[in-house]
Amino acid sequence: MSKSYEFVPEPPLVQGNHTFGSITALIGDIPERETPKGWYIAFGVANLLLLLLVALLSYLVWEGLGVWGLNNPAGWGWAIINFVWWVGIGHAGTLISAILFLFRQHWRTAINRFAEAMTIFAVMCAGLFPAFHVGRIWVIYWVFPVPNQMGMWPNFSSPLLWDVFAVSTYFTVSLLFWYVGLIPDLATLRDRVKSKTSRFFYGMFALGWTGSNRHWLNYEKAYMILAGLATPLVLSVHTIVSFDMSVSNVPGWHSTIFPPYFVAGAIYSGFAMVVSLMIISRKIYGLEDIMTVDIMEKMNIIMMVTGNMVAFSYLMEGFMSWYSGYIYERGIFWLYVVGPYAWGFWILMFCNVINPQFMWFKKVRRSVTLTFLVATFANIGMWYERFMIIVASLATDFMPSSWAYYSPTWVDYLTYVGTFGLFFTFFLLFLRFLPMVAISEVKAGLPQADPHYYEEDDQLEGSNGAGSIVIQPNESV
Amino acid sequence: MSQIFPKWANRVPKRLTIGSIVLLNAIIFGVWYFFSPRYLDVGYQPIQPIPYSHAIHAGKLGIDCRYCHTSVEKSPHANIPPTQTCMNCHSQINSKKPKQIAKIRDHWKSGEPIKWIRVNKLPEYVNFNHSAHINAGVGCVTCHGRIDKMQVVHQVEPLNMAWCINCHKNPAPHLRPVSQVTNMNWKAPNGNPEAYGKKIMAARNIHAPTYCDGCHY
Amino acid sequence: MSKTNENPTYWKSLNQLANNEEYKKFLEREFPENASELKDGMSRKNFLRIMGASIALAGFAACRRPVEKILPYKTRPEEVVPGNPLYYATAMPYRGSLTGLVVETHEGRPTKIEGNTEHPASMGNTNTQMQGAILGLYDPDRAHGITSDGQKKSWDDFLSFAKQNFTSDKKVAFLCEANSSLTLNRLKKDALKKFKNAEWVTYEPFGEQNALEGNNQAFGKKLRTYNHFDKAKVIVSLDADFLQQGSENVTNIGNYTRGRALESTKDSMNRLYAVESNYSLTGSNADHRLRIKNSEVELFTYALAASLADKIGGLEAFKGYNNHFSNHSWVSVLTEDLLNNKGESIVAAGNDQNPAVHAAVAAINMALENKDKTVSYYDVPTFETGNDTQRFYELTRDLKAGKYDALVMIGTNPVFTAPSDLDFSSALKATKTTVLLSQYHDETARQTQWHVNRAHFLEQWGDGTSYTGVKSVIQPMIQPLYGGKSEIEYLYAIINGTSGDGHKLVRETWKSYLSSTNFENQWEKILHDGILPNTEFDTPRVSLSSSFATYMNQAFAQAKKPGDNEIELVIKPDNKIIDGRYGNIGWLQELPDPVTKITWDNVALMSLKTAATFGVKNEDVVSITSGGKTVKLAAWVLPGHADNSITIWAGYGRKGIGRIADDDFGIYVDNKYKTLPFEVHKFESKNVFPFVTTDNPLYHTSVTVKKTGEYYSIASTQDHSSMEGRPLARQGTLDTYREDPHFAPEMEEVAGIEKKSYRKFPDALYTPQEGYDYLPQWGMSIDLNSCIGCGTCTIACQAENNIPVVGKEQVKRGREMHWVRTDRYFIGNDAGDPEIIHQPVPCMQCELAPCEEVCPVAATTHSRTGLNQMTYNRCIGTRYCANNCPYKVRRFNFFNFSKEFLSSGDDPEVIQMAMNPDVTVRFRGVMEKCTYCVQRLNRAQIDRQLETKNQSFKPVDGSVQTACQQACPANAINFGDISDPNSKVVKVKHNERNYIMLDVLNTRPRTSYLAKIRNPNPKMS
Repeated sequence: MSKSYEFVPEPPLVQGNHTFGSITALIGDIPERETPKGWYIAFGVANLLLLLLVALLSYLVWEGLGVWGLNNPAGWGWAIINFVWWVGIGHAGTLISAILFLFRQHWRTAINRFAEAMTIFAVMCAGLFPAFHVGRIWVIYWVFPVPNQMGMWPNFSSPLLWDVFAVSTYFTVSLLFWYVGLIPDLATLRDRVKSKTSRFFYGMFALGWTGSNRHWLNYEKAYMILAGLATPLVLSVHTIVSFDMSVSNVPGWHSTIFPPYFVAGAIYSGFAMVVSLMIISRKIYGLEDIMTVDIMEKMNIIMMVTGNMVAFSYLMEGFMSWYSGYIYERGIFWLYVVGPYAWGFWILMFCNVINPQFMWFKKVRRSVTLTFLVATFANIGMWYERFMIIVASLATDFMPSSWAYYSPTWVDYLTYVGTFGLFFTFFLLFLRFLPMVAISEVKAGLPQADPHYYEEDDQLEGSNGAGSIVIQPNESV
Repeated sequence: MSQIFPKWANRVPKRLTIGSIVLLNAIIFGVWYFFSPRYLDVGYQPIQPIPYSHAIHAGKLGIDCRYCHTSVEKSPHANIPPTQTCMNCHSQINSKKPKQIAKIRDHWKSGEPIKWIRVNKLPEYVNFNHSAHINAGVGCVTCHGRIDKMQVVHQVEPLNMAWCINCHKNPAPHLRPVSQVTNMNWKAPNGNPEAYGKKIMAARNIHAPTYCDGCHY
Repeated sequence: MSKTNENPTYWKSLNQLANNEEYKKFLEREFPENASELKDGMSRKNFLRIMGASIALAGFAACRRPVEKILPYKTRPEEVVPGNPLYYATAMPYRGSLTGLVVETHEGRPTKIEGNTEHPASMGNTNTQMQGAILGLYDPDRAHGITSDGQKKSWDDFLSFAKQNFTSDKKVAFLCEANSSLTLNRLKKDALKKFKNAEWVTYEPFGEQNALEGNNQAFGKKLRTYNHFDKAKVIVSLDADFLQQGSENVTNIGNYTRGRALESTKDSMNRLYAVESNYSLTGSNADHRLRIKNSEVELFTYALAASLADKIGGLEAFKGYNNHFSNHSWVSVLTEDLLNNKGESIVAAGNDQNPAVHAAVAAINMALENKDKTVSYYDVPTFETGNDTQRFYELTRDLKAGKYDALVMIGTNPVFTAPSDLDFSSALKATKTTVLLSQYHDETARQTQWHVNRAHFLEQWGDGTSYTGVKSVIQPMIQPLYGGKSEIEYLYAIINGTSGDGHKLVRETWKSYLSSTNFENQWEKILHDGILPNTEFDTPRVSLSSSFATYMNQAFAQAKKPGDNEIELVIKPDNKIIDGRYGNIGWLQELPDPVTKITWDNVALMSLKTAATFGVKNEDVVSITSGGKTVKLAAWVLPGHADNSITIWAGYGRKGIGRIADDDFGIYVDNKYKTLPFEVHKFESKNVFPFVTTDNPLYHTSVTVKKTGEYYSIASTQDHSSMEGRPLARQGTLDTYREDPHFAPEMEEVAGIEKKSYRKFPDALYTPQEGYDYLPQWGMSIDLNSCIGCGTCTIACQAENNIPVVGKEQVKRGREMHWVRTDRYFIGNDAGDPEIIHQPVPCMQCELAPCEEVCPVAATTHSRTGLNQMTYNRCIGTRYCANNCPYKVRRFNFFNFSKEFLSSGDDPEVIQMAMNPDVTVRFRGVMEKCTYCVQRLNRAQIDRQLETKNQSFKPVDGSVQTACQQACPANAINFGDISDPNSKVVKVKHNERNYIMLDVLNTRPRTSYLAKIRNPNPKMS
């Protein structure tokens, strides 16, 4: 019995016959081009939302937390939900750039740059909430171990304190990582831009990059080290966020499955967000050649896997609540399913359990519109997951006498909307003034970058025009 | 292509990094020191409506603190004496400053209280109990300084939490026999307050609370 | 000193800091006088040199250090030691009789009310209204002065007015609230002497007049019934809410719970049967409860009497009577149980039941030989003869007919409360001279010529008798805040046209009670003890009057079985504000109703079945029509309420009284913060007094109810009433307790751990907290068997710990601030007729506190005395502790509640005077919770140190009480040092019924519970 298998090579990372030059032009020109009207409109909207956010936070600080819908059993509400949600979204970037980098996944190059940008901005949005949700923000510095008149330390056994450190570290490293990656491209832009001012600024941040061997050597080293540093953080940050819940004894919170389950969920939502952003920007900036459908498909597969991990955790939760024989745990899970917040539970069941299953079908994975839909649902679903965990668990815990229905106020709603203002303000600025794709890294993925490229070229003399070779997908070598 | 930056610019990044680190620490420690009660409140010396001199009464004349601040031993508060207390003597005794004595007499006649200005002030959320401290053998001078040398009373100690806690963690050096509490020049025998205090702690069974609701409730 | 020093903004200027620098030098100098020359020049240099870097900080310093003045006394009153509270004995007139109190005053301002242990009506306990009285005293909305036709007038104006108008030739009518004052009654005699053919009528909306009339019919004598619930084995309550209503409810609660106290399995306890339409507090404590229409209670009583008549003598009047209850299982069972406990049983009827019921009950108690054993009939000398109700009706009619020249009203508010068909306001119009003494410028005050603002009992000299006749003196704690007058000064002025000093008047009266030889000493003693002992009313020998039988026969004729489907409306006095008299006390308004947990409102209470027939849910507005009057109210389903019957509390829907009582919820924070997703509907009135008419005073038999489709939000503090099968509040029957004494601690289900063997977990998730042996280790035990759920602990706590009132909307949001709440759970399979169990929940003071572990700034930590401390000034308000608290006892200041509460009204300083100076007033954004009244504990500890010269830090057992413990009328709370094996609390905690709530979490709370025991009759099933 013998069966011959046809070797199917990986599809090329970049489609359309691009040269180094054309790539540089394709991405590098964006900041130079005349700013499109659409950008101004989008930016204007984002700014209005940002103003709204500022206004509402000031209102909050002025009047007190009562303007939010919090009540006695539900001490945490939308603020913490949004925090966890944004942090979760902030996962994809560093994961793509660090972990995939260490695993030598070249396809990451197409998206890592703006995925990282997204991460940073998402974490900024997230960071707002834990700060503003405290009763007396004017003394929030007490959570930092700084010398003070009280001679007091913060309480290091509090998960909230771990949060402070985890998130800030994650943010710093991500920022650094992103910036280091940017340096060569900044240099490229510096050398291309006409205006003196922009040359000055690009130049300032390019730190005098000349592309010399020594520079490249240091750059690669630094990048590798940072990737190594970032990798554990990707996992740690959401693990620690999950400790906020799992370390306390609230039924529905107090569970050891939380860390892996939160990380998986975070990646799920993070990738969803990246995909949706990618789909938009590749269309607008005509980057279909770089951000190819193949890459989208790869990300969809990751979404599917992590989505199923999340789904599995739900099942485990249900099982444990029954198997533990712990009536309070049992009670809360039952309340998830049929209780006052059941509607939220079933929304999340659809978005996080059913929804990812569509990705089993190649058609869906490769269809831009369907992917966009699934991704959007994934993000909605992950928001509801946090809603269920935080609000539903708190509102109906040990003491039936204290059970109360949590309902958000208009301030809650608009504050959440406002954070998008913050996010997109930065994101649009990024799209406008920075190379949204890692030019140098993408080039490295080009066939031309293969040292033996030109040798092969000689052997194939005549069969094809030199320098402009196109490798067809199914053509085996 | 022309150079954008001069040569010295190469050194800028490194300096910025180091500089910012230094600055950050400078700010933290600056705030810590300059915003501290030790820096801001010590020496607070308001002008009182009547220039009553502790230096003369407590110092020169050697009147015991408790003659005026009667409740200090049995109450959380050390009371400000009623006008009557002044009149006990000043109904007869006049002094170098007849104008001021006249003021007191006016207050006495009108019954209108003398509006003294508070010097040593703790926040409302701190419950300081004088009687407990007196009873434990903490001298007036320990917190109020050499009142007997003060023409105009001023704040001597920062009275911030760390300062309180310091003593509560190790009261020994600040303890004395209860009989000596109001004595301003009391010195521990053989000049070793630590050792002497330890004896007193053992003898008088002193435990200074270091937990929150020792003072905050 | 130099000129610069005269400058008041001295410290705020930059020189100040400079001055500090140079001052240190100045100290070293021998001649301080000259130092002033040095100041400026020197200092500026110093300043610039030394602190050049921090000029900004100087300004900073200024704004951080406002100048604070201290105002000492001119002459200090001897007893006052600034910082130490003083305690004085006095008494509170409560619904017609006195309850002895001890009042805590700080530098001459009363801040807390406690019961007087010497006083029989109090025994050291109080009820919600007494605890609330402090806020009533400092109510900024009380009438601020005397007014006449809207004009401000002085006391002298009133005197001259009185002189002219109250001449002896005038025909004067006196309308007085129920009042036991001895001096008032002395003056009353003078008044009746001076004003020929004057009429004196006592009018009390929810008073004891029906009971008195009933006894009058039974015994031919107006006698006051007093039940010794501690002596009874079997108690039958016929719509008698004796634990909540009536002026003697504090005594009743104490006696009732003493009759149920169980120290071991050998003890026995009384059995309470309740027959009622509304689910009353008493009903919620009953062992058996029968829900029937209010009108049927009468029928039930007669049926019971009839069936007893077959067995024992003395009830011949009932022989042969029968109705649809005659073969009711309850009647037979009760008959048997009562006969088995002759002389040890009580049959009690509700004050609102008509006189015939009371007459019948009196006969029953006589027949059961309960008189002078469990029931006493007191002859109260101050009563007028005749039926008070009828006399009030006649008086009003006469007034309308213009038969009187003048009407003098004392403390009543008939325009608001009198039967609507009497139309009292027209009576006022018809009378030439009308004067009123009352605390608020209320409905009646607005229609009388002269309104004299009444002094609060804490501001006045007075006296009176307890329910059982024990005499006490009311001594003032503070000068009248708004220059109010006491009823005796007022009456004296009316009689004599001159001002009489309350103090003198009272002493005058007491001359007749005390021997003239050493009057002063006795007087001093009475002021000190607050009581003249052994002065109960006498209990005359009585027998059924000859006319009794005929009277009952008339009653039989009138009592008819109501149609099964006809809807009945019952008006009950509110559990908190009674007839509205306490309506402006925020604490009471925000106290959850003991049974329904509703705050701030009255509702139309109905059973599940009835609600279903109307198709209404909670908060659906229904319009209720009877006798041409209509009131719109939110419906509220109360499981266990009688079917086809509606109960409404009176006293709500007032106008122009104050910012609390008024019907627009314009209270405190509500005005400012609208956080509800929907607007609160406002109604014309929620006042149900219009329903009250002369022919059906307190209930209507055929009313029509319509669903309006409107929605009205009700702020209830407990939305969920089922325990969800969780062993939180635990109870068992007396038999189970005797069989398995440890049933309670074994109710906790823990998988994998065998029930019987289960006690405690070995290992802890959180770090254990060690107590220190030289310090007391505080612990508490709450006996659910004693707790009746009245909520007095909540108000006591609120008064002691400066807890703000937050207003209806915030309560609706679930943001009430009460440190100790009383959970109310419905138990039983019949959703239509469940049992109720009450469970007070303060902070459990866990040794392994979940809250402490998660606070990022260590604002809540553990003390060496085992307290779970809450340090407000360290709290940044993450609310993580509240989330992690399994008992949900932590409260968060979502807004600046305290500020809103204390800065409300025209003169906010007044409310601020009610605050306890020993407790921090919490600010916005911090968490707070029960502290076991740590301020009291610390004071006790320090006092102990002082008196033992530091040899002991442990207060003597019983020398320190928490506010809730001290106030609790049921003595359900025990508190003390659990490191002392002989302390009361340790003994109590060793009871087999002792259990720990949520023991499964191993939080090791210092507060534990004793399970409730019910004593059902095996024959009832």
